[in-house]
Amino acid sequence: MANDVLTAAVWPRVLPAVVAAVLAALLLVVVSGWHPTPLTTALVTWFPALLWGMLANIQISVLAIALGTLVGPLLGVLQLSPVTPVRLLASWYVQLFRNAPALILIYFATYVFPFELHLGSHYVNFPDWIKVTLGLALPASANVAELFRGAIGSIPAAQWEAAASLALRRRQIFSWIILPQCLRRMLPPWMNLYATITMSTALASLVGVHDLLDSAQIASTTVNRVDFTIAVYFITLLLFFVYCYPISRLTQYLEKKYAFV
Amino acid sequence: MQDQLLSHGVRVLKGLGLNYEFLLAASERAAFLHGLVVTIELSLATMFCSLLIGATLAAMLVSPQHWLSWSARAFVELTRNTPTLVQLYCAFLVFNMLLTQALQSAGGNPLTPFFWVVTVISLHKGAFHAESLRAGLQAIPAVTLEAAASLGFTRTKQLWLVQFPLALRFVLPSLINNLVDLVKMTTIASAIAVGDITYESIMIWTQRDNVLELMLLLLLFFGALTYLVNLGGRWLERRLRMPGYGQ
Repeated sequence: MANDVLTAAVWPRVLPAVVAAVLAALLLVVVSGWHPTPLTTALVTWFPALLWGMLANIQISVLAIALGTLVGPLLGVLQLSPVTPVRLLASWYVQLFRNAPALILIYFATYVFPFELHLGSHYVNFPDWIKVTLGLALPASANVAELFRGAIGSIPAAQWEAAASLALRRRQIFSWIILPQCLRRMLPPWMNLYATITMSTALASLVGVHDLLDSAQIASTTVNRVDFTIAVYFITLLLFFVYCYPISRLTQYLEKKYAFV
Repeated sequence: MQDQLLSHGVRVLKGLGLNYEFLLAASERAAFLHGLVVTIELSLATMFCSLLIGATLAAMLVSPQHWLSWSARAFVELTRNTPTLVQLYCAFLVFNMLLTQALQSAGGNPLTPFFWVVTVISLHKGAFHAESLRAGLQAIPAVTLEAAASLGFTRTKQLWLVQFPLALRFVLPSLINNLVDLVKMTTIASAIAVGDITYESIMIWTQRDNVLELMLLLLLFFGALTYLVNLGGRWLERRLRMPGYGQ
């Protein structure tokens, strides 16, 4: 019975992905008519380039969320600091970077950071994709800070008191009792944030980073066929979907699982 | 008088190392102000359309007709899990191109980039609104619906006169959140050369190399715009508040 309910709940949500994949495959087969046509030849030629482009998106998103996750909790704690100037500065940082459009931050990082770094007598290149990563890490850290602050705030104060009455130190209470619960509560929204950042990495193509969308544009102008242009942009859409949809499904599953803990 | 004040302000800022001289050039100032207006128009048009689409999709999502709810579900999942910029390219570089080709003999394509941006962002954010509204619609107690049915409301009337007004109040904060995101998302209009504030700023800074200065203006502008949306949301929340719910 429980299994039936689960299947009934999951199936309508898995179906769109299956339908999309099958339709895309069918479209390819029908268009190609099983024989190699100019379209399928071009697609086979360009598909690896698209996948390499996608790797750049994944690289940027993973690094940005990693940086954001390292800095974010610190900012979240600073926002709760008893020292007023520290608290205000941290809150302003969080407000500023949560409310700024991602595209503006990407332009900001690309044009305001130097194009090479001067380390002693060496000049180190500062490539655009790293700048975009930093540009996306700014809102990521601000968002993680808010998640962290919210998670700490959601643990009942009675737990601090109960743990203190068991003679635990503040530090022990935090790392053994509060933090494990916070991490569990933060996981679903954190994954949502990661999916959002992954989708924002498509903006990197606007500042000249060679990513999936940039590869698609290059492929489309190089091959210069109407059917190929249609196919390549929809494949781009599909590739992002294939990457982000499982994350979103897992997030929904975890949200349900932890909802009543 | 105003010109004097402006040039004085620009001089003071120059002393601080900020180059806002473009404000003194009439054409560039006009372009920047025009961009500002375009972004506001874009935001308002998109907010309106996205809410309409969101309500329609939400109604489809809770529909007992399976083909309706499944097609809405498929659309929502596809839209939520792909980047808006890629959707914009699919719409503008693919659909718009095909349309232009098809209408070549009939006097050209009447659809502007502005139209495509409004359409794509409305559909994208409409999917987010729909998810919020669906949660609200499903949170309405069954007894309320039974009461409505016993008063002779049909299914459609129940949906629009009972469920929607209640759901709207439940999910207003998350709708406002979506609208704030929507305002921030209008920046992607610059990718297909709609003359919004981001596009005009790019034009100015490629000429004058004053990226930081324009960036500050952009951040201030979007900060103000999102603040206004939030303010409007709070006002609506107060105005629509039902006695007996919340604080």
